[in-house]
Amino acid sequence: MDHRKYMTILKLDDAAIASRRAFFSISDDDLARLASLRPLAEKVTDAIVEGFYALLLGHPETRKFFSDEATIRRVKRTQREYFMGLFSGRCDLAYVEDRLRVGAMHERIGLAPTWYLGAYRQYLQLIRDHFDAEIKDPAQSREAFFSVQRIVFFDVALAIDTYIAANLEALGRHQAAIRELSTPVIRVHDRVLLLPLIGAVDSHRAQQIMESVLTHVVEAQARCIIIDIAGVPVVDTRVADHLLKTAAAVRLLGAEVVLTGITAQVARTMVQLGLDVSSMHTVSRLSDGIELALGMVGKSITNKGS
Amino acid sequence: MSVHGPIPILRIGSTLLVSIQLELRDAVADAFQADVLSAIEKRGTTGLVVDISGLDMVDTYVARILAETGRMAKLMGTSTVLVGMRPEVAATLVRMGYGMEGVRTALDLDAGLALLGHVIAQRK
Amino acid sequence: MIQVGATHQIPIENADDIIRVRRRVRDIAEVKKFDSFATAAITTATSELARNALVHGGKGIACIEEVTDGYRLGIRIVFEDHGPGIDDIPRVLAGGYTTARSMGLGLSGSKRLVDDFELESTPGAGTKVTVTKWKRF
Repeated sequence: MDHRKYMTILKLDDAAIASRRAFFSISDDDLARLASLRPLAEKVTDAIVEGFYALLLGHPETRKFFSDEATIRRVKRTQREYFMGLFSGRCDLAYVEDRLRVGAMHERIGLAPTWYLGAYRQYLQLIRDHFDAEIKDPAQSREAFFSVQRIVFFDVALAIDTYIAANLEALGRHQAAIRELSTPVIRVHDRVLLLPLIGAVDSHRAQQIMESVLTHVVEAQARCIIIDIAGVPVVDTRVADHLLKTAAAVRLLGAEVVLTGITAQVARTMVQLGLDVSSMHTVSRLSDGIELALGMVGKSITNKGS
Repeated sequence: MSVHGPIPILRIGSTLLVSIQLELRDAVADAFQADVLSAIEKRGTTGLVVDISGLDMVDTYVARILAETGRMAKLMGTSTVLVGMRPEVAATLVRMGYGMEGVRTALDLDAGLALLGHVIAQRK
Repeated sequence: MIQVGATHQIPIENADDIIRVRRRVRDIAEVKKFDSFATAAITTATSELARNALVHGGKGIACIEEVTDGYRLGIRIVFEDHGPGIDDIPRVLAGGYTTARSMGLGLSGSKRLVDDFELESTPGAGTKVTVTKWKRF
């Protein structure tokens, strides 16, 4: 994702940025102070960038992100620009766009928040050390450091939001794919559908199952849907409730549900819990369920040559 | 056949067919019920098919009108079936906990007429 | 942190207003590309709650807000009336308040159709119901 898309997803307009700026206590004085520190920043930028990457390259977990010389050179150059950007004296739309460019690049490399939080800490320490050395008046040095700290944290927030936004987008795509794969509704015969349920059924999945079942029943104009639960590891009150709701909805459409794969254990549980499953036909073996369902559409399975 | 509300009522033999293609504002829903009952009263009908495939939303008010109409029709000797319910409507009703008990449903007109034929034959 | 985008205020003073409010909610859901199940859910909940405000509250107002939590898009609706209010909220929400059964059904039903549900009521002063439906990824 490029940085412009992040601007849209994170809804970063002038108002939102002003609000963030206020929350991170970045005053006009801070911005003016940062601008006035530019000459000092120019002086120490190389040392700070080197120190920053010494940490990243010295740690096995983070070194792998900077595998080749070309990447390292490019990233150091960007980092130099980033560092100088802290002293631009601006904290507006243009500033944020710049920052997002860096975030987008880190996200593309796949650098996780843990690592760049650790890196930012290193950054702040290096800045503190160099400022202390260069600014003689301790009070001034302290003020300078706090101004930098405020804007660095503003940047960290942006970086984390970018990381989350990128991951949520990927998550959304994966979830859509999982939804498709986890309820494979099969057409067994004209107007007879089969849904083999595999794996645990939580309320989130149950909702998705109901929606998928109903959509398929109407699309296929099915008279009956067989739901096989042999592959569902635990069938407790909650799961049974989900199945019953789905069956009720299928019946509302005018079709029927045949529940198959009911083991002795599940049968025992259902009766002991006092569950009313009269809204569904229930059998133990899938083959029996298929025969029952076919019967509903006037078909039967017979031996050949008879 | 005189109809006062905007929903037309058709007759196929001794079956009435009503297809709801508009949003059911209260006045229209009430007129629908009145017109259907009036039509049943005028000629001998044995079956009523209500096609709700045009409804993308059925709240408790509409569900109540439909169920009530079915019960009123039954008192006058007419069996009712609802056809064409949309998946999202079924899901919403079930999630709300609104069962629509006592209402016969079928997937489409063909299934609805077949079901009615079966029900009416059994009544005799 | 919920950020509010566009807002739409619609008075609920007669039966036709119920349609007006739910049409607006449906339109917003469609523009934001909610799936058909989510659209039906929020539209139906809107219809129930608008009807409650009218029938039990005398008249009311619906305030529809397009919201976001920074990551997801959502629709939030506040239904407010200055009617008699509800004195036994838990009982009504459980659907067991027989004299106002239709209100209870509408309230408890709507609660199951939305993601976030808040109910404030002061007997004699009025009722305020806030519901939010988020768009699934």
